[in-house]
Amino acid sequence: MHEWTGELRLDIEKRHGKSVAKNVYFQGAFKVMRPVYHDDSGQVCYYILNPGGGYLNGDRYRMSISLEENAALILTTQSATKVYKTPFKEAYQETEINLKAGSILEYVPDPLIGYRAAKYKQINRINMEKGSTLLYTDVITPGWSPDGKRFSYDRLQLINEIYLDGALVAYDHIKLTPADQEIEEIGFMEGYTHLGSMIVVGEETNADLLDRLYDTVNIASSEYKIGVSMLAVKGFTVRVLANSTQNVEAIFSKIHQIIRQEWFGTKPTMLRKY
Amino acid sequence: MFNPTLALFQLCDSNFPTGAFSHSYGLETYIQEGKVHNQATFSKWLDVYLNEQLVYADGLATRIAYEALEGNQQEDIWKLDRLLAVQNLPRETREGTQRIGEGMLNLVESLYDVPIIKAYKERIKKKQAFGHPAIVFTIIGHHLNVSLRDTTLYYLYSNLTTLVQNAVRAIPLGQTAGQKTMQQFQPVLVKALEKIEGLKMDDFGIVSPGLELSQMKHERVNIRIFMS
Repeated sequence: MHEWTGELRLDIEKRHGKSVAKNVYFQGAFKVMRPVYHDDSGQVCYYILNPGGGYLNGDRYRMSISLEENAALILTTQSATKVYKTPFKEAYQETEINLKAGSILEYVPDPLIGYRAAKYKQINRINMEKGSTLLYTDVITPGWSPDGKRFSYDRLQLINEIYLDGALVAYDHIKLTPADQEIEEIGFMEGYTHLGSMIVVGEETNADLLDRLYDTVNIASSEYKIGVSMLAVKGFTVRVLANSTQNVEAIFSKIHQIIRQEWFGTKPTMLRKY
Repeated sequence: MFNPTLALFQLCDSNFPTGAFSHSYGLETYIQEGKVHNQATFSKWLDVYLNEQLVYADGLATRIAYEALEGNQQEDIWKLDRLLAVQNLPRETREGTQRIGEGMLNLVESLYDVPIIKAYKERIKKKQAFGHPAIVFTIIGHHLNVSLRDTTLYYLYSNLTTLVQNAVRAIPLGQTAGQKTMQQFQPVLVKALEKIEGLKMDDFGIVSPGLELSQMKHERVNIRIFMS
C-alpha cells in the first residue's frame, strides 16, 4: 500500500437535474469544501484545499474524480499549489479522471508555484467516454526567491494523458529544469516567467470556434505569447507564455466563457478572487 | 557488393522525396518575428529543436521502435505510432509529420519487401495508424541490419540536413553557411545520440514551451512558404 500525504475521491452523479456527490472521500492533506452551485444549471462546484499549505519533500498526493452520465462539475482549488524545497525526493501528484458520456468537467486549478529547489511531478490521466466534455487548465509560475533568480525551482514536470473510449488522443509533457536549460532563451520561456496550458476536448469543436478564439485574444501582443491548435480529435489546446498569473488567467477566462456560453449555455463563472 | 549503411543513406538523401522540405516545424514563425535571421540565431534554434524536442520524440522513438522490432513486438510499434502522433499538439506539425511518414512509407514499399511496412500501410488505410517517418526509417534500418546507433544517428542527420536546407532558402543563408552549420552540428548529433541512449520511456514527448508555441502560432503566420 502506498502512503499518500493527501488523498481525494469524488464521484459525481446527476440526480433530479442536479449534479451531486455520490461519494466524497478525503484524507490527510487534501480536503474539499462544501459544494457550491454558482447558477441554476445544476452544475456543482467543488473547491480543493491543501490544509498543509504546500507540497514538501517526498509528499505524494492522489486524486480520483469520476463523473457519471450527464453530471457536470467545476473543480478548482482554494489557492495556488505551492511546491517548496524538496532536497531529497520530489513532490508527486497523480490524478485519475473518469468521464461518462454527456458529463462535463471543468478542471481549473489555481497556479502551481515552484519555489527555490522545488522538484515536482504531476500526472493527470483522463479517461473520457464519447460525448463527454473536458476543459482543463494549468499555470506554472516561479516562486519568489531570496537571491532574486527568476527561475529557482529545480524541476517542474507535468504530464497529461487523455484517452477517448480507451484510445490515447492527447499526450502533453512539459518538463522545466531551469538549471540545465537556457530557460530565458529561444525555444524555452523566451523571456517570460509563466506558462499556461489549456486543453479542451468536446464534440462541438470546429474550425470556426478556433477563429473566434483567435479573435478574442491578441496574437500580436508583446505582453504574452499565445498559440492555439486543434487536437487529433475534436478539441484544442492553448499555450500561453506571459509574465503574470493575471495575464494568463485573463486569456483563459475569455476562452472559458466562450466555451461555457456556446457549449453549455451557462453563464461565465467568477471562480477567482481577483 | 551490398552495403547496408549506404542503402539506409538513400533515405537520408535530400533528393529522397518525402515532402519534408515543406515543413519548418515552427522555424518560419521565428524567422517572421525576426528572432532567427542569420547563421548564429539559426544554429541556436536548431540546437534547441534537436535537443529539446526531436530527441524526446523522434529520437527516442527510433530506439523504442528498433527494440520492438528486435523483440518482434509489433503491438508496441502501433502504440508508438499513436503516441508520436498525439504528443504532437500543434496541428500543422502533427499532420505534416503524418504526411511525411506516409510519403516515406509509400516509397520504401516500392524499394523493399518488408511485411511490417505493408502492415503499417494497411493500418493507416484503415485509420488504425497515423504514420511517422521515425518508425518507417527505423523499420528499414532494422531490416537492413544497420545498428540501432547508426539508425538513430542517420535519422537525426536526415532531419538536420532538411532543416538546414530549409533555413538556407527561408532566412536566407548562403550555401556555405548552410554547410558550415552541418559541419558544426556533427558533434552535436553524436551528443544527441548519447542523450537518447540514456533516456527512459518516462522522458517521452517532453516538449519545450517556446518551440511548441511557435509551431502552433505558425497557423496564423501571414506569409508562409512552409506548411508548418
